[in-house]
Amino acid sequence: MTSVPLVSVFSADDSSKVTAKHIPLPAVFQTPIRPDIVSFVHTNIAKNRRQAHAVNPQAGMQHSAESWGTGRAVARIPRVSGSGTHRSGQAAFGNQCRKGRMSLPIKVWRRWHRRVNIKQKRHAAATAVAATGIVPLVLARGHRISQVPQIPLVVEDKIESYEKTTDALNFLKRFGAFEDVQKVVSTKVVRAGISKQRGKKYRVRKGPLVVYFNENAKLLKAFRNVPGVEVVNVTRLNLLQLAPGGQLGRFVIWTQSAFAHLDKLFGTYRYTSIIKDGYQLLRPLITNPDLARIINSNQVQEKVQPAKTTKVLHEVQKKNPLKNTKAMDRLNPYAKKQRAAAVAAIKANTKGTKKIKKNKALKKASRAAYNKVAASLNDATKAAVQEEQDIKVKYFSVQKGAAQTE
Amino acid sequence: MSQKKPQMQVEQKVPENIVKKTARDTKLREAVAKRRTERLAANKTRRAQWEKNAQAYENEYKAADKSLIDNIRKAKSEGGFYVPAESKLILVVRIRGINTLNPQVRQTLRLLKLRQLHNAAFVRVNKATIEMIRKVEPYVTYGYPSRAVIKNLIYKRGYAKINGQRIPITNNNVIEQQLGKVGIHSIEDLIHEIVTVGPNFKEANRFLWAFKLRGPRGGFIAKRKSFINQGDWGNREDLINDLVKRMI
Repeated sequence: MTSVPLVSVFSADDSSKVTAKHIPLPAVFQTPIRPDIVSFVHTNIAKNRRQAHAVNPQAGMQHSAESWGTGRAVARIPRVSGSGTHRSGQAAFGNQCRKGRMSLPIKVWRRWHRRVNIKQKRHAAATAVAATGIVPLVLARGHRISQVPQIPLVVEDKIESYEKTTDALNFLKRFGAFEDVQKVVSTKVVRAGISKQRGKKYRVRKGPLVVYFNENAKLLKAFRNVPGVEVVNVTRLNLLQLAPGGQLGRFVIWTQSAFAHLDKLFGTYRYTSIIKDGYQLLRPLITNPDLARIINSNQVQEKVQPAKTTKVLHEVQKKNPLKNTKAMDRLNPYAKKQRAAAVAAIKANTKGTKKIKKNKALKKASRAAYNKVAASLNDATKAAVQEEQDIKVKYFSVQKGAAQTE
Repeated sequence: MSQKKPQMQVEQKVPENIVKKTARDTKLREAVAKRRTERLAANKTRRAQWEKNAQAYENEYKAADKSLIDNIRKAKSEGGFYVPAESKLILVVRIRGINTLNPQVRQTLRLLKLRQLHNAAFVRVNKATIEMIRKVEPYVTYGYPSRAVIKNLIYKRGYAKINGQRIPITNNNVIEQQLGKVGIHSIEDLIHEIVTVGPNFKEANRFLWAFKLRGPRGGFIAKRKSFINQGDWGNREDLINDLVKRMI
């Protein structure tokens, strides 16, 4: 047999005192958490509190409006009959018209309520109760429970006899639940929108939910003026209170007898419920949550095949082996030797480096000789050019003299 | 003088999962390392074999060239002519696009692996293939490829058909995997098989995807006319090499 989680019952007067140690957790708290069921049931059940409303069936239709038909350069929408006022000739009746009736006017016989299968409703309630025992879920819902000694918080039945609100407040303060109440008080805001003029002025958060058992309990009166706190009998647990907004994890304060009644209410994994006739709690899909242990167990590892390696057949990018030596050597290791042989052949054809040097010296000498000759030629040409110029000047000046005399 | 306080003996307990996982991981790592050393050793011997084969082929090619020259010289010296054997291999290049094709021609081009403009493929020469090429003659140009052109085609434009996929021939594993069982292990083996049209030419050629060439640098002369009529289509024998060099 596996060990059952245990819970302590706290004394109503002193949060450090425990009146009953080690009470087993009711089986409901072991139910698998199914937010999908809760969300589905909540969306449908939340519709059941709605009151029928409708628009006035005559709204927008109280005219003897008729369409003017075609041929009058206006749209064919029905127009208000008569004359003598602006309204006459204006469009009427259509949803697109000003002062026209809405499209598909709301009727009172709209289907306001939804029925949900009983089993789904019961599963949702069970899951919601289970979620109230899981600290991260309650924290995630936004409850301030850091000072609360235990989740789920179970208190002796003495609180059922509280009559004064001061007693209730002091009780909440003792058990660290007052922080949640303070949160409710400080975050009360005026609602956005028209509904504030229709009786829903404030938006108030949810605080702790106190669950009691005995029908003669007076604690309702004590707790009902504390903002945010709701009180409910365990036989009438409401999903809309256990998971407000479809969100799991309400902060719940149980009385001892209410807590003990849960096993009868929801049944256990061994016995079906007595009160919810024949109801069996949801069974989890896996019972061992330690996945690491399962995966590493010998039974699993024996069957497991080794991890597949990504076998790459070819390089991702094709390189041209005719240009890329690495790619070439990868394909043809002989290519290296062929290249070396080709280089050696070239070298063998050129017969050493001495000849080159000799040519350089020769080149230098020949260049010097050429320059010498060029220089002497230069002088000769310069002299020749000068001579020619002298002759020209002489010739021209003789001519000029001749012209002048004439 | 401070007295040493007796140390509490705490066993260092390692979680069971971690113990199991480390044991498993070391075993796997050792297996991988062992496989790696084996693979590297095998690769070494393989590379040596490739090199040996490549060298053998080079000698074979040199010998073939030399024998051709010798034969020509011999024939000349005797006052006759040496006619070398007709080429066993043809390189076909498609020079016409896909529009308005006769269905028989279309099908034959497909059989020759020439599905696209400027696709080139090797074809063995026999009666059957000659007839096929005759059917598609106005749409292709073909000739006898030289060894250098074959080598360059396979190195630069060589892709393999593996499981219906076009895989680049970037290493010899690609070749080994498909053609290892017919004795072609490296790219030089493949080239040799194509050049000499060996006994496994069919497998080797089937392994090769059609060469996707670019348009020729410098252009065609006139694709509408046959090569004989100063155009481009049809048999241009050895001059296919000049064309393909411009297309490779």
